[in-house]
Formats: sequence, C-alpha cells, structure tokens
Amino acid sequence: MAGLFISPENQIQRLNQITNEIARLKSLPLSLLTVPPKPKAWSIIEIIAHLNIAYGLYEEKINGALAKCPNKQSETEPFKARAWQRFVINGQRPKGNVRKWKMKTLKKFEPLLSPENRNQEQISSIFDTFQTHYGHLRQAILTGRNKDLSKVKITSAIGPIVRFYLPECFEFLLCHAERHLVQINETKEMIS
Amino acid sequence: MSETELQRLLGFFSDVQIDSEQADHFRKLWTMRAFERSELITEAGHTERYFYFVLEGVQALYVLNQRGEKVVLGFSYSGSPSGVFDSFIARSPSSTFLEALKPSKLLAITLPDYESLFGLFPDFHRWGHLFFREVLFGRLFREVELLTLSAEQRYIAFMQRCPEELKVIPQKYLASYLNMKPETFSRLRSSTSY
Repeated sequence: MAGLFISPENQIQRLNQITNEIARLKSLPLSLLTVPPKPKAWSIIEIIAHLNIAYGLYEEKINGALAKCPNKQSETEPFKARAWQRFVINGQRPKGNVRKWKMKTLKKFEPLLSPENRNQEQISSIFDTFQTHYGHLRQAILTGRNKDLSKVKITSAIGPIVRFYLPECFEFLLCHAERHLVQINETKEMIS
Repeated sequence: MSETELQRLLGFFSDVQIDSEQADHFRKLWTMRAFERSELITEAGHTERYFYFVLEGVQALYVLNQRGEKVVLGFSYSGSPSGVFDSFIARSPSSTFLEALKPSKLLAITLPDYESLFGLFPDFHRWGHLFFREVLFGRLFREVELLTLSAEQRYIAFMQRCPEELKVIPQKYLASYLNMKPETFSRLRSSTSY
C-alpha cells in the first residue's frame, strides 16, 4: 500500500466536516436519537457517547505529548505514517460509505446508557461533550502545525501494541469518527 | 483603528462618498484582527465570518486536492480585500483555507455590518457592482492564462504584475498558484528575466 501522507490542513478540513455533521444531528427528535436500529445495536446518541469515551482516553496523552514536542524551526514535509500504524489507521478508515473490518467493541469503550437516562438533558450533555472533545482535537492539530511532532510517541487506548506519533494519533481519531459517522447515517436510514 | 488606517480603508472604498460624521460610524463597524505567520484565518468547513481589508502581511487562499496538497487560488496583501467571499456572502461552510503567510493585520467587518453599509451609503451598491465585476474579470483572466500560456509565460506575466511583497513568500505557494512544480518555478526564477 502506498505511503499515507498526513497534513494538518487535511485533518482540520475533515474534522470540521465531522463536527458540522454531528451538530446537525442535534435537531433530530429524541425518538430518532435514542432508538437502536436492532436490539443489540447502538442508537445514534450511543455512537456519539462512544466517540466521547474513545476521545477521553486520548485527551491527556495528547496534552502531555504536545507539551514535550519542541517548536518547529522551519516548514516540514507532510508526516508519513509508519507501516503498522498505517494498517491500524486504515482499519478504521471507512471506504466510501462502507465500514470495513467490523470488530467487537472492548468493554471500556461501550457507551452503556441506561434507558431511563436517555432524556433531553443527558443527550444535550453528550453533544456538548462531543463539541468540547473535538474542539480540543482541533486545537491540538492547530498547535501541532507549529511543533516538531516527530519526537514524542503516545500509547494508544488499546495499549502498547500500538504507539502513535501525534499526527498518526490524530489521523486514527479522525478515521474512527468518520467510521462512526457512516454508522450514524446507516442507523438514520434504518430507523426513519 | 488609527486615522492613517481609516484613511487607507476609505481609500479602498474611494467610490463611496462618506463625510466625516459618517466616517465615525463607518470606523466603528470594523475591528482589527492580527494573525501570526502560518496561522489559519479561515478553515475549510467553517463559515467565513468577515470581509477583510489587509493593512499588513500576505495571505494565501487555497483548497486541498485529493492528495491533501495545497492548491493556491489567490493571494491578498497590503491594501487589498481578503476573506473567503463565497462562504461569507452565502453563509455556508467554506471549501477553502485562508492562511497568513506573513504576520498579518486585517480590518474585519461582519456580514450584518457589511450589509448595513448598502443601506447607509447608497454609493456602496456601485462599489459592490465594480468590486464583484473586478473579481469576476480577474478570475476569467487567470483562467485564460492557465489554459493558454506556457509555464515560462505564466511566470513572466505574474512576476511583471505582482506586488513586491508577494515575491518573497515561500516559492511553493507561488509555484502552486502558477500551476507548476516548485522545481520548475525555481528554475524559471534563476533563468528568466522579466
């Protein structure tokens, strides 16, 4: 597979598209947001809650790594993801509107919303958390434009089997969110 | 905004008659925004909130191609307007980035205030007509240049008309604007006089 070049501008553009799409979901009625398409599937709001859980496991790691990265002295070439990390990232990346490599979610990433808590207040809070988390990601990508990100690695949320440089980590998180946006669109179609 | 800056701004709107009393109100509609080198002024996916007048610095307007490379559509610089006009007017997310290539100071006006100018000052309708005519003619002229001129001819035509402050920005932006590889631009710069 050809090398995967990662540029912060490309990531910012995709991130803004993701946050715009999620913001549009806020206007959907409660019934559409909270109904799973199948008994064991997640509802739209559970998918967003899952994205929040996943990002929450990276936020401090990203802050710590950014603080350690030195400022960039000159403009550098786009970052090239390494082979194993590229494989992991591409495992998340949807191909068009298809989610490849479907896998069972680890317990710690499950949203676990109890039915009685699926009220407007909880839903607003999930949307707010999403905007906060992905606003943090946006700021991290912007900050990273002026840093040398090739010095510090972080351990992924699934453990040391995957360690990312920050551009790889950002790409992984974006592909993960894009994958779940596809799932959200599938869910919307199934329940409407 | 200083008196000098106000005069520069009024100079940009020279077709519009604004007396000293109106100028006070006009001045209040604009805010100063400063950007560091390489800071994104407008991001693709965000809606442009301002129409800008450039006091200092150079800015590049670009889109990303399928490989994620920047494709430069144009520049703004001291004394010129700036911003992502289509997103600003249509209130829709931008498909382009606006980036400060040098530390930049811009005067910014929001869409409601921009639109209020047309009600307050009837001359703004004529200014708007002339401004967008100039934008359209500029885009058509550039399209013809890109489609009909050789790389060397494009380089010479551009260098003859572009302001000095544009000639010192990173070559890759100028090369992209002229639809040539940075290596070609570099070769032309060292071998071609204009």
